Amino acid sequence: MAQTMAEKLLSRNNLAGRPVSAGDFLEARIDGAMCHYHAADSMVEAARQAGFKDGLPRVWDKDRIYVLLDHHQPTLTQKLADENAAVRREVERLGIRCFHDSEPGIAHQMMLDYGLVRPGELVVGNDSHTLGYGCLNAGATGITRADMFYVLLYGELWFQVPESIKVVLDGRQPNYPIAKDIILYIAGQYGEDIAQSMSIEYSGSLVPQLSIDSRMCLSTHGVELGAKFAMFEADPATSQFVKARTDKPYETLVPDANAQYAKEVRINVDEMPFMVSKPHQFGNIAPLDEVKGTRIHQAQIGSCANGRFEDIEIAARMLKKHKVAKGVRFIISPASQQVYLQCLKAGLVETLIGAGAQFITPGCGVCQPRVGFLSDGEVCITATTRNTRGRKGSTQAEVYLGGPLSVTAAAVAGEIANPEEVFGGL
Amino acid sequence: MGFDIRKLKVRGRVWKFGDSIETDAINPYYRYPTMEELKQHTMEVYRPEFPKEVKPGDIMVTGRNFGCGSSRPGLVLREVGIAAIVAESVSRLFLRNSISRAIPIFVAPGVTGIVEDGGALEVDYPKGVVVNAASGASVTIRKYPPAIEQIFECGGLPEFAYERYQREAALAARPK
Repeated sequence: MAQTMAEKLLSRNNLAGRPVSAGDFLEARIDGAMCHYHAADSMVEAARQAGFKDGLPRVWDKDRIYVLLDHHQPTLTQKLADENAAVRREVERLGIRCFHDSEPGIAHQMMLDYGLVRPGELVVGNDSHTLGYGCLNAGATGITRADMFYVLLYGELWFQVPESIKVVLDGRQPNYPIAKDIILYIAGQYGEDIAQSMSIEYSGSLVPQLSIDSRMCLSTHGVELGAKFAMFEADPATSQFVKARTDKPYETLVPDANAQYAKEVRINVDEMPFMVSKPHQFGNIAPLDEVKGTRIHQAQIGSCANGRFEDIEIAARMLKKHKVAKGVRFIISPASQQVYLQCLKAGLVETLIGAGAQFITPGCGVCQPRVGFLSDGEVCITATTRNTRGRKGSTQAEVYLGGPLSVTAAAVAGEIANPEEVFGGL
Repeated sequence: MGFDIRKLKVRGRVWKFGDSIETDAINPYYRYPTMEELKQHTMEVYRPEFPKEVKPGDIMVTGRNFGCGSSRPGLVLREVGIAAIVAESVSRLFLRNSISRAIPIFVAPGVTGIVEDGGALEVDYPKGVVVNAASGASVTIRKYPPAIEQIFECGGLPEFAYERYQREAALAARPK
């Protein structure tokens, strides 16, 4: 029977050894597991509650578990420092070999930077944005801490084979990133649960023009559309990216021509305006022009959705001739040390700091109430993942989501503004 | 805290919520890191009175996409006494979280149409229905496959893992 990418992957990894199709339940073999700061206290506690008095008795494969201390690095409180120390002890006790410890950055970005994800793999992570690895043709998905407990022990996990949704992207890539606008546009047109529990397969004439950075934004944000997987097919850009980082063999996933899709949506990006998500829900979507003139106090670029080179490069390109408005805190957080270094080498950091932006350490803090809190009544526009009430501190603050170019335009204008009007011909 | 979902029947007062309630509202642990604090603040961004007035045995009825956002378990809802969550649809990670921590959660399309806030609802898993206790109006519950029902019975996935581990260790120890 013709299969989608998700059906192929889960058939390949089905422990029962038979093909599966949408709706089936199965126990699947896991190819890789990304585990971040939950690796210690919460795992030890889960183990004790379950009956393992001395914590997890073992891990299933010391080379396929990747522990990255991303959320809290450098630590901002004593408690977090103690938690990180507990993770180090657990990693050593269990003999886990891949451990990125003394290095700030977002786990998802580092998983790609260090070649820990290959096309065609089933990779799980105890973080909702694990879907991002779908940019490299991996079936990657977020699981829960308790699920991770099971994976660490057995390297297996139950799944229901998802239905698939085809998202066809057509049009021309402009000379600035639009991945964020695309995802906001889809959420606005079709609802933020359009892909609930489904596997998104991106395709269309835009895809070959999309950088890996943009693809990762689209895959990462799959979860904001409710998805289980959000995958691209592998192409020359994929293999170039992967082969520069790992020499491990892999087998790509290609959907069959007659595969069954539960839904299909088509987007022509040439007709798409700049988009924002308004407070306090991702699905509260509007064209940017609708909220033009909204005064802002903070602008941000970062996170697993938009902390990559192209997101920071567009800000630097625009700020060569412009300054950050007085009173606006323009915070930039590269997704990883590798991305930070890339930005430094390209001279972006100098330009941005010269124009009044500020850099903070790579990591998840910019997207949480950890760094850059908002006070009551303050407004922030941010190229990060979420804008729920209280996400940046005060529940009386307002957070808008937008693409990195829209964020930069707002940082310059001091209010939400159309980038074409702020910067002229793009 | 395992329970036999195959026999589960509960009746309680309804707290009704809308669509796409996110985990930042259910479990705002960034701001309130301890369970005691969470209990005083869960869901307050939607209903400030909820943490003060919720009573053990109450039932939550929600719209679509319940528990969207970050992957965080809804243990705090069990702690404040919520006996069951019945939703139009549930975000996949929240559903996984609830299964793997054995929190009674049910997908029942149409449920928001049969009961109002403050009304009484009965969840009857064996019969596969939720019923408005006053009007008798009912909708169907989506049943779980037996393997998932077993996870609820064990008390969650780590507990399920422990049982498997013990079973396999016992087998391995048997003389050949």
